[in-house]
Amino acid sequence: MDESKTADISYGEIANLEDLIDRDSLREVCRSFFDLFGLSIRVFSQRGSLLANVHEERSVCRYVNSLTKGRVACAETVAQAQMLVPEGGTTVTHNCFTGAVYHVVPIIYDERQLGRIVIGPFLPSETNEIPASLLHIDPQVEPARARLALAEMPRVRAQTAGRIATHLRGVLDLILFSGHRARLTSAMHLATVRENYRELSEKNTRLQDAYDKLKELDRLKSNFLATVSHELRTPLTSIIGYSEMLEAGIAGDLSPEQLGFVETIRTKGELLLQLISSLLDLNKLERGQLSISTEYVDPRAVLAEVKDTCLPEAEKKHIKLELSWHQDVPAVQADPVRLRQILINLVSNAVKFTPDSGRVDLSVKTTEMRVAQGDDDDDDAGGFGAALMMAPERAVEFCVKDTGIGIPEAEIAKIFDAFYQVDGSSTREYGGAGLGLSIARSLVEAHHGTIRVASELGQGTSFFVTLPEAQPDQA
Amino acid sequence: MQLDFQAREVTVKLVYYGPALSGKTTNLQAIHRLLTPEGKGRLMTLETRDDRTLFFDLLPLTVNTEMGLTVRIKLFTVPGQVIHNSTRRLVLQGADGVAFIADSQVAEVRANQASFKDLRKNLRENGIDPAAMPLVIQYNKRDLPNVRSEEEIMRMASQGKERIYLATATHGAGVADTFMGLIGTTWENMERQHKLTERFGLNEQAVMSDLRRRFGPPVEATKHG
Repeated sequence: MDESKTADISYGEIANLEDLIDRDSLREVCRSFFDLFGLSIRVFSQRGSLLANVHEERSVCRYVNSLTKGRVACAETVAQAQMLVPEGGTTVTHNCFTGAVYHVVPIIYDERQLGRIVIGPFLPSETNEIPASLLHIDPQVEPARARLALAEMPRVRAQTAGRIATHLRGVLDLILFSGHRARLTSAMHLATVRENYRELSEKNTRLQDAYDKLKELDRLKSNFLATVSHELRTPLTSIIGYSEMLEAGIAGDLSPEQLGFVETIRTKGELLLQLISSLLDLNKLERGQLSISTEYVDPRAVLAEVKDTCLPEAEKKHIKLELSWHQDVPAVQADPVRLRQILINLVSNAVKFTPDSGRVDLSVKTTEMRVAQGDDDDDDAGGFGAALMMAPERAVEFCVKDTGIGIPEAEIAKIFDAFYQVDGSSTREYGGAGLGLSIARSLVEAHHGTIRVASELGQGTSFFVTLPEAQPDQA
Repeated sequence: MQLDFQAREVTVKLVYYGPALSGKTTNLQAIHRLLTPEGKGRLMTLETRDDRTLFFDLLPLTVNTEMGLTVRIKLFTVPGQVIHNSTRRLVLQGADGVAFIADSQVAEVRANQASFKDLRKNLRENGIDPAAMPLVIQYNKRDLPNVRSEEEIMRMASQGKERIYLATATHGAGVADTFMGLIGTTWENMERQHKLTERFGLNEQAVMSDLRRRFGPPVEATKHG
C-alpha cells in the first residue's frame, strides 16, 4: 500500500480532488447542469487539471475569434478566468470584454479548497448596452453584427447565478463525500486484509513450531518405547524360560501347589511378553518400520486357521464359533502372518466381549471398495474426474460378528486409538492394554485396506475388514 | 498528531474505544448534533451492518485560530465486536487521545474490562506505551436500570488518574464534557511533547473556548428512577 493510502486510514484525509472524483460521473453532472441552465461549466482541481468541461461556443465568441485582435484578447480572457484561484472560499467574478462574466466558485471539502468550478460566460441580466470594450477590441468589429451575436449569449441574473453555483457545489459535495467514503472503505478493506494476513502468518509460524516440537517429542516417545520394550523383554525371557524349566521338573519335582504357582508365573509372563510385543509392533507401525511381505493369500484358508486358533478360547465360554464364505471369493495380496494377526485379534476380542453361550460368526465375501491411488488424493475431493477416480475395485470383506455387549455410539470413533478402553476404570470387567484394535487398523492400512465397525449396544458388534483383490501385475 | 507547516495545520486524532454496543457511534452522533454548523464536517460511517460499525465512524471538526493556524480534529470510533480486532488496531494507529466508552450496566463489567485489556494490547502492538496515551473514561447509559452507582464509580475512579465522565449519549448528556475532557488531556500531552504554544503560538485556551462555545447549552443528565 502506498503512503497516501496509509495516511487516508490514519487521519481519514483527502488532499486531491482527482482522488475522489470519477471524471465520467462529474462530466455527466456538469452536462445536466448545462442542459438545465444553458451555462458552460468547467471543473478544475486545485493543481489546475481540467476534470470536466461542458461548454458551447457562443455566437459572440465565434465572431470575436474570427477577428485577429479579438482572438488574442479572447484567449487571454479565457486563460485568466481559468487560472483564477478564489481565496477565502468566496466566489470570484471575472469580466470579459464582451460584457459577459465568468463566476469562479471554490470547491471546498472538509474545510479544504480542493478545486474550482468556472461557470460561464454568461451575460448579467442587468446589461442592456453593448459595451464599448467589445466595440473597440478590434478595428474590424461591426457593431450591428456584434449586437446580434451578443443577444444570443445566455442572460442570468446575478442572484440566480449565485443559486446555481450553490446548488452545483452542493451536488459536488455529495459526490465528494461518497467518493471519500468509498476510498476510505477500500483502503480499510485492504489494510484489514493485510493485517489479518500478517496476524495469521505469525500464528502459522507459532503453530508450525509447536507442531515440529510435538513431532520431535513423538519421535522421542517412540525411541523410548522401543528401548524400554527391548530392555523389558530380555529379563522376561529368562523369567519364562526358568519357569518352564521348573515346570518341566529339571530342578526337581514340584508339589502340585508349587506347580500351580509356577504355571501362573509362566502364563502371566507370556501375557506380559505379548503385551510388550504389541507395543513394539505399534511402535514400528507408527514409524512405518514394520515390514510386510505380501503374497497371494486365500481368504478362506486364513479364516479357517483363525477359527482353529480361537476355538479353545471360545469353547471355554461355550461360545459357538461359526464359519461361512462364498465360493467365488478371490485371493488377496497380503502378508499371511499379519492377516492372521488382524483376524485373530478381532475374533478373540469378540469372544472376550461375548457373554457365555453366545455366538461369533466369521465370514468372508466379495465386495467393492475405492482404493486410494498414490498420495495425491486431495485432487479427488472436489469431485474432479469423479467418474474415473471414484470407481471402486473388487475387494474381499472379512466379517467378525458377535452377540456381545456392543459399543456405545459415542465410543465407536475412539476404539481404534492406541491404549483406549471403552471402560477405562480400574475396576473394569475386561482386561487388555487397548492396543489390539490400534495395531489391527495400522496393519489393515498397511495392506491398503479399511476396517470399520457396526455395533448396537447389548446386541453385538460386527467388525469388517476390507482388502483389495490381488492384482495380477503385483504377483 | 500531524503538523503541516506549509498549510499551517495541526491534525489531531481522537479515538472512541470500548466494548460492542457501549455507545461509541452514539457519542459521535450526539457531538455532531450538538455542535453548531461552523467547522463541522459530515459524520461519515464506514460499512455498517445491522446498525453495527464494521470499520469506523469519522467526524471531522475544524478550529481556525487567530494566528492563522488551523486545528483539524478527527474523531474516530472503532468497531466494538471482538472479531474486528485488526480493524481496531488499524484505527488506533496514530491516535493522540482515547475516550473509553464503558457501559454502566453492572452486567457489562467483564465486557468493559475485556475491551480495556484489548485497548492496552493493541496500543502495545502499535508500539505505544498504554500509560503514555491520554485517556478519559466515560460511563455511558446512565439512564438504564441496574447500572453501577455514581458513588461507586467515583470511588473506583479515585484510584486511577484518568478523568471519568458520566453520560447518557442517546440524550446527549455528558457527551460534550467527555469530548472536552479528551481534547483537553490530549492537548496537555501534545503541548508537553511539541511545545505548541512556544513554537506555533497555538493558544490552548482559545481552541478550548471556541469548541466549548460551539456546543449548545449543557444537556442535563437524566437519571433512572
